[in-house]
Order: sequence, then structure tokens, then C-alpha cells
Amino acid sequence: MKNTTFGKVDAAFAFLIRFRALVVAAVAVVTLAMGWQASQIEVKTIFSDLLPRNHPYVEVNQRFSKTFGGSNMVSIMLEVEQGDIFDPVVLGKVQKLTVDLQQVEGVDTYQIISLASKKIKEVRASTEGVESRPLMWPDLPQGAGELAALKAAVLNNPLVYGPYVSTDLKATLVTLDFSDGNMDYTRAFNQLMKLVGEAEGDGVKVRIVGEPVLYGWVNHYLQETLTIFFAAVAALVVLLCLITRTWHGTVLPLLAGLVSAIWALGAARLMGFHLDPLVVVVAFLITAQAISNSVQLIARFDDETRQGTPSAAAAARASARNLFKPSMLAIVADAGCVLVVALTPIPLLQKISFIGTVWVLTIAVSALVLTPVMLSWFGSRQRFIHPVNINPLLMRILGICSAIVTTRWRYAVLGMAAAVFVVSGLYAFNLKVGDANPGSPILWPESDYNRDAAEINRQFQGSDRMFVVVAGKEPGALREPEVLSSMTRFQKYMEAQPEVGGSISLADILPQVNRVLREGNPMYQELGKSTEENAELMYMFVSGSDPGDMDRYADADAKNGAVTLFFRDHQGETIRTAVARVRDYVAEHPVKGAEYLLAGGLVGVLAAVNEVILAGQIEAIALALLVLVVCCTITYRSTVAGVFFMIPVLLSNTITFSYMAWQGIGMNINTLPVVALGIGLGVDYTFYIVDGIRENLHRAHNVERAIVNALMGPGKGVLITAMTLITSVVLWHFSSLRLQADMGVLIALWLFISAFSALFIMPALVYVFRPEFIVGSKRRPIEQAEPVLVG
Amino acid sequence: MLRRLRKYGGGARGVVTLMTSSAPLVIVGGLLYAGLFVKAEAVVQKVEPPAIERRDSFYGVAAPDERTVWAVGAGGKIVRSEDGGHSWTRQPSGIDANLQGIAAWDAQDAVAVGNDGIVLVTHDAGASWTRAEVPSSGNPNKFFRVRLANGAAWAVGEYGALLRSDDRGATWKRVLPEEDRAWNDVAFVGDAGWVVGEFGALMKSADGGATWQAVEMANKVSLMSVAFRDADNGVAVGLAGTLLVTSDGGASWQQVPALTREHLYSVVWDDGRWLAVGDKGVMASADAGAAQWQLGRVAEGDVSWRTQVARAGSRYFLAGSNLAVLDDGALSVAGHKRM
Repeated sequence: MKNTTFGKVDAAFAFLIRFRALVVAAVAVVTLAMGWQASQIEVKTIFSDLLPRNHPYVEVNQRFSKTFGGSNMVSIMLEVEQGDIFDPVVLGKVQKLTVDLQQVEGVDTYQIISLASKKIKEVRASTEGVESRPLMWPDLPQGAGELAALKAAVLNNPLVYGPYVSTDLKATLVTLDFSDGNMDYTRAFNQLMKLVGEAEGDGVKVRIVGEPVLYGWVNHYLQETLTIFFAAVAALVVLLCLITRTWHGTVLPLLAGLVSAIWALGAARLMGFHLDPLVVVVAFLITAQAISNSVQLIARFDDETRQGTPSAAAAARASARNLFKPSMLAIVADAGCVLVVALTPIPLLQKISFIGTVWVLTIAVSALVLTPVMLSWFGSRQRFIHPVNINPLLMRILGICSAIVTTRWRYAVLGMAAAVFVVSGLYAFNLKVGDANPGSPILWPESDYNRDAAEINRQFQGSDRMFVVVAGKEPGALREPEVLSSMTRFQKYMEAQPEVGGSISLADILPQVNRVLREGNPMYQELGKSTEENAELMYMFVSGSDPGDMDRYADADAKNGAVTLFFRDHQGETIRTAVARVRDYVAEHPVKGAEYLLAGGLVGVLAAVNEVILAGQIEAIALALLVLVVCCTITYRSTVAGVFFMIPVLLSNTITFSYMAWQGIGMNINTLPVVALGIGLGVDYTFYIVDGIRENLHRAHNVERAIVNALMGPGKGVLITAMTLITSVVLWHFSSLRLQADMGVLIALWLFISAFSALFIMPALVYVFRPEFIVGSKRRPIEQAEPVLVG
Repeated sequence: MLRRLRKYGGGARGVVTLMTSSAPLVIVGGLLYAGLFVKAEAVVQKVEPPAIERRDSFYGVAAPDERTVWAVGAGGKIVRSEDGGHSWTRQPSGIDANLQGIAAWDAQDAVAVGNDGIVLVTHDAGASWTRAEVPSSGNPNKFFRVRLANGAAWAVGEYGALLRSDDRGATWKRVLPEEDRAWNDVAFVGDAGWVVGEFGALMKSADGGATWQAVEMANKVSLMSVAFRDADNGVAVGLAGTLLVTSDGGASWQQVPALTREHLYSVVWDDGRWLAVGDKGVMASADAGAAQWQLGRVAEGDVSWRTQVARAGSRYFLAGSNLAVLDDGALSVAGHKRM
């Protein structure tokens, strides 16, 4: 049976090689068509793609973000170097900025809030009664007297002093929100940065943070990302050329990677997907797969020609036939593992998963078919294109591998691997879901953005917001003293967490109004005693203001309101603690007439993302392993095979997770694609080695010889691939985006461990345990190969 | 015998074979189970609320000796320090309403008053606080302050409330009839007593509070606090920087030209000088004559409102939008790390 399959594969490749001109032409035509599609693909970030589908928090966010502030909030801080902000120049800048921000594309003009906006008001008692009027709108204060009055009004207003003016009076905040949906981050970012640049100067420092700004920075570095990508590819070419010393060894792997990429991106465009700049590294990961497959074929081709296979076509056929099984297994298992990622209900991950699956599957054409077909054109004589020969070095390394496997050192290697597995397995539990450090992990800690974020969070209550909706059962619920006092206690409870810098709600405003009504006496800074009294206080606050001014706190019929919590950071730990505390509070203190709904704003949706990732983490890993086990079990018709191939995968995963935990790289929406795609990545090197051992055993039944031969044959391909890819991946380290640098290191680590397991650990395992599916047994002896007719 | 052993041996081998061949199936089953049913649970750190929370405002403070300090405030909060204000512990009040005033006989016995006619008493250093009976009222019944004089406790509040307790806070009786005007503070020197309240109202007593006579006042601005250094010399402060001085036991009052437009909420006779605190961190002081007043701040850059100041030893304790300790001119806010 074995030999009949072999025969069929051989016949198929013979057919392909006979009509090689047609095959290449067909691939070229498809590539051109796909290339045209791929060139149309949009590279951009869509925030809504990051939000889990059907998650209750996301639904609350979508329902209420228009009124209570969504996840696209931007904070701009104007900070004076000397004196305080009560200076005509500084206030003039605040006013100009507030007006100009209305022109920024996609901005929600009702949600621009600053000292100079109409929304920030003071409530004061006068001889005519109580009036609420804007602090600094429409005109700036004139003269020292009005400046002093403004300062007094600010100091007296806890809704301003603290949230919008820093406690040391040296900084003031302008916040704005964008309408959620398909906003163009690049355009908005450029316009914002222009305004920030204009406001800077005259002793005023301007800082800006917020999700649109962050993604603006990412897009800003897109050019650099592409430059690094092409530099990495160039490095690959140089390295392949250096190591293989042949044109076909240099060009064909690259061709395989290129064709795969073009087909995959074209397919992505046809499926209506766009490309997120942050996942460009993922592209590199799959390209690495394509190159690895191609290099194996070429290495085999070179071996065949060296051993005197008569024609290039025959050598190409032989290599394609012999490597068909491990290559196909690697492709199918990988594609399965990548497809599992689509189970995570986050659109971005699903898109990446679909693109990735298609991408991996295209390798079947770009490497498995195209490489042997192209090889058949190259002469069988070895012509070296440069004199540098590092082949002896490679052979030395492989010699060390063989020496270790065939001597007692193999026990040391296995013992070490077991120890590393146990230690890294335990340490991997320190891996955090969500961001592991303050600031954005996408950018370097010393980047402008992260410095701005740290500074704003130091001076103010926190730039990251979460709103918890207080949903009344009936209109007017938010006037009930019971509901309002519950909100006050809830805010107090939440503020006990150190990362929560503050909170604001209707229950903060009414006591202020009450105090003003009572001659400013703080002993009356409290909620009304009755529904009627609270209604009156609310009326006092909104009288004379525009409809919609209260929207940030409660809707017009006082049915739904929000408690907005300000966070100093959005680390996974912070968010989890806050969400758990909200749940605890709500469970322990039910309030009649209203319920608390989690959660909106940036922190709210991040909480949803983290929950989904945390819940799906085990599922994704377990199912990916399952796919792998099933693929291997079917291929080798042995359940032991499935378990055997889990070993390198588990090892590379525990070590990578440990590295992430050690380096403070959290498992979040940006790192998950790489991590998930990497699960299946580690195993294909081992497929080639194990298949090499089996193949050698077909010829002669000597396990030791078979292992050494496999290391010298497919082992060389593994070594070449690993060396070239690891070296070129290092280039990502120079990215201005920390995420890409981190992911580059992660991929390099992955490739290294995979290669190491394939060359050292797995052969030793085969030698020691002699699994039946590889070395055979008395019951199921290895079939001895009949010489395949070539010609 | 031998055959039987061999049979057993065969069985054992069978078991081993079964185990080795079933192990992969178990692993596959385990993975499937883990993938479908196991959900990671987040480990959440516990957050212990501090004794003094950022949102807390305090209305009353009492320092019966140099080490013991009590403060009460919004949301039924009672905190106590036994090391002169360095560290604070929360005490269970059992209520959510705001507490406005506190007075302490000693480190064991204290009484606190607040909104909704609440009077709380402790006799065990605050380990337990119990509600005291007060005369019922159909009107808003908020008490602002409680003072001790000659062993009795006096509470003032809304709707003309002036209540007296002679049994360390256990029972209370109304001294003045209810009327639509709040009393904000009360002070005694021996048998001489004074109450001040809304719209500049002031009454005095010469018999230890048994009977009270209204004093005709030119000032109509609400008075928030009153203090006397002896039976003749006293100061009353109020809204919009109002400062009134008397040297005839409160029969006639002279208005000190306003130093500030800010409200003044509390005045004390501070061992040789008058000290008043109020809105936005203002502090006014004068020598015994109370003729020359100086306006200053509790501390540079501090803009908190203060409703009461108490002194024990060299330290001042300030209740207000936060709870602060002023030690030799240096202000530290309890419970705030950042300031």
C-alpha cells in the first residue's frame, strides 16, 4: 500500500514535470491575477474588529457609547512650565484648541470638553436664584479680576478641579470622543498632531493620548514596518545565497514565499478582508513555513543529484515524491492549527485565521509543486556562484547532533529537555492575559506616546475610562434617593482600588448643586432626601443649558445613567480586578429599581477582549494540539505518533510562554495571532527528520545509521532554514513598534526551539524509545523499499 | 503452577499493552475535554479599602487627648487615630447618613451627631456605637454640631434644634422649641452660653442653658460658629467672611471689616489667639483682642474647605473636604499618598 501511494505521487509529479511549462504558466497567471487583487488590499486598523462578538460588555458599549463616551476617547493635556494655567496665553490656547478640534474628521462635536467648552459649567446662586453657566464660554476672562474669578470657580468645582484642571493648577485637560465606527485613524491622527503642534510653545507643553492616537502612531510607522519587512526578505536572500551557493537554492525558496504571500493577500482581498499593520509579523511567520518547505525540497534535490540521479527532472521527482508526506502533513496540520484560532469570537482574529489558513494551504502549490517543477529546469551539475563555503560548518554542527544522539549524551539531552519542560511549564503560568505593563505594549516605554500617557495619568485621575451603566427599570429611576446613594457607595467602593484614579456620576453632581442652593454650605453637600428634591436639583443643573448636556451622566428621562471610572492604566490585572469588584458589589448590594450593567469605554471593551482571550486560551491550545495529534495519528496510522509529535510543540510553547511571562509580554489581542499561529509551527522540522529516519529504515534496518543519515540529510535543510530565518527575524528588533520587535524575538525563539528539538531531542527520543510507528516491530515490520523505477 | 504463572504473565502483558495503547486515546480525550469544557478562571487580587478613602469628606473632629483623635464625615464614616493622626482605623457606625459633628469626654466616651436626627454614643473607645433616643420631629432633623459643657452634651441642628443630654448622650431633651431656622453652633463658658444660626441669629443664656434670650443683631448673614475665651470675650464667624467680635458677653457685637469673601465655618480660641478656618483653605487669626485679623491659608497651595479645627498638643486636626493634620506648619492629608 505504501508503495502504491508512493507510485501515485510519483506519477503525479512526473505528469507535472512533463507539462512543466504549462504548470508554471498557470501558476504565473493565477499569481498575476491574485497580485492585482493583493495590490488593492487596504492596510488599516478597524477598532470594531478588535471587539468580541456578542459579548455583553461590547453590547452595552455599543448601546451607550454615543452618550456616555466610547472607546475612542482622546485626552490632550496642556501643561505650563511656570506659574499656573490661569494665564491669558494658556487659556487662549485651550480655547483655540477646543474650537479647532471641531474640524477634526470623525470627531463627535458634542463630546469636546475643556475649560473653554460650553459643557463645563458652574452652578451658582445669585439674587435671581440659581443659575448654571459655562465657566469660560464664549469669551476668555478679561483682566486680573476675571482671571481670579475663574480660578475661584474652578477651585470650587470638584467636577472641574481634579478631572479637568490638575490639583497643582499646572495642567488642564481637553477630552474629545470620536463617533465609533469606521473612523480613519490616520487622517484623524494627522489632524490632531497638527493642532497639538500649533498649541505647543510659549512655555506650554502639550501631550496627547487615546486609542485613535495610538493607532495613528502605528499607521505612522507603517512605512518603517514595510522597510523592515523588505530588509528581512533581503537578508533572507543573502543568507540563502551564502549557505546554498546556488541560484536555485536562493531564488526558489523566495519564489515559494512570494507566490504564497501574493495568493494569500489576493484571497484576503477577495474575501473582503483588510490587513492590520500590526500583524505584518504574522505574514513573516507563514512565509517562514513556505521557505522551510522549499529549502527541504532543494536540499533533497541537491542530495539526489550528488548521488548521481541521471537528470534534473528525475532528481526533482525523487525529492518531491520522498518529501511529499512530511510536507503535506506539515501543511495540513499547520492549516488546521491556524483555523482553530477562528473559534475565538473576535473578528480580527477570525480574519487573521482565515487568511492564515489560506496562506498555509497555498504552500502546497508554491513550494510542493512549484519548487520541484522549477528545479527540473536547473542542471544537475552543481555550479557554485561564490567561493565562500560554510558547508563544513553545517556538517560539523550536524556531526555534533549525531555524536550526541549515538552516545550517552542523549540521556543528558533528554534529561535537560524534561527539566526545561517542567520548569518552563510551571513558569508559563505567570503569563498574563491583557497588557502586562502600564502604557501601551505596542510602543516602546520611552516612546512619546507612552511618556505622554504616564504624564497625563500622573497629573490627572486617569485617561482610560470605563463606564458602568445604571439602568433604571422605569423613567425617573435616577432621581430615586436609593439609586443615587447606591451609586455613591459604588463609586467609593471602586475607588478603593489604587489604579482607579477617580469616578464621576450624577450622584456627584447633585450634592454640588445642593450645596450651592444652601448658600455654599458644605454641610449640605449631599443628595436630596426625596425623588422630588433630586428632580429639583437636576432641573437646577440643566436649566439654561443645551439639551444633551446632561447626557454624559444620565439620559433625558432619568432612566439610564452612567458611573464613569477613570483608570491610570489598562493592564490585564487592573481590569480584571475592577470587573470582579463591580460584580462583587452588584451581587452584594442589589438596588431596587435599577441594575448595574458592565461595561463600556475603552477599559470596558478591553475587559471583554481579555475575558474572551482568557476563556478561549485553553480551548485554542487544546484544540490546536488535538488537530495535530489527529493529523499525525492518521498519517502514521498510530496513536503513538500523535503523542510523539506533541513533544516538540509542547516544549516550544512552554518556553515561548515563559519568555513572554519573563519579558512582561501579555497575551492580548495583538500578541495572540502570533502565539496561536505558532502552536503548529514548531512541528514541521520534526516531521522531516522522523520521515528521514523512516525512509532510511526502508533501505536498511539499522536505527543508529538511519538516524545519522536523517540528520545529515533533512537535518541540513532544517539547519539552513532555521539559521536564515532566525537571522533575518532579528531585523524586527529595530522596529519603532515594540510589539513587532517582541514578536520578532518570539518567532526567532520559536524557530530555534523547533530546530533544536528536531535536531537533538527528537532523534534522541527515537533512539531511546524506538516508537513502533518509526522503527517498526516484529508485528509490524518496516516494509523494505522496492527500488522505484526512475525514468 | 508454572502454566498459571505464565497465564498471569500473559494477563499482565495484556494490561500493559492496553495501557500503552490507550494512553494516546486518553490524551486525545483529555485534549478534547479541555478544549471544550475547561475555562480558565482569572485570579483576582483582593482590595482592602483603606480607613480613609479618597472620596471621604469629614465634617467633625475631636481630640480628647494628645494621642486620641476621632473624625466623622460623609456616609456614616467614623475614623479614630491613637497615635496623634499618623494612622487611622475605621469604626463601624452602622449607618449610611452623613455624620456632622463629634465630641469626646475622654478616650473612651464620645458622642456623634448627623443627618436624619442621628445621635451615636460610644463608651468603649468606639469599638461599638449605639443609636441614642432623641425627641422625635416631623421636620428635617439634621444635627450639625455637638459640644460638651460642664459635663452635659449639647447638640444643634435644623429647625431650631437645641438638645441637651446629661447622661453622657444616652437620652436627650429639647431645650428650645422647633422653628424654621437652623442653629449652627453652641458654646459655653461656665454658666454663660451662646448659640448662633441661620440669618445671623444669636441667643445667649446666663443660667447654663436653662433659658435663652435672643440678641438683636445688625448682621443678617448666617453665622456658622462661635467661641469665647472667657465669659465676656468671644468671636462668631459665618458665611461670606463674616467676623463678629464681642467683649461684653455677647450683648453687643462689632463687625470686623471682611477680610475675604470666602465662607468661614469654624472658630476656636487657640491658647492665646483666635483661629478661624473656612472655604478654599482660608484661615484667619487674631490676637486675644480680636481687633487685628490676619488672613492666611492653612497651608500653601491647599484649597480644601474646612468645617472644624481641633488641637491636641502641638498638632491641629482639620475636618473638611479631607482630613488633615497640621504639625508645625506642615500639612499632611490623611489617606492621600499623592500630595
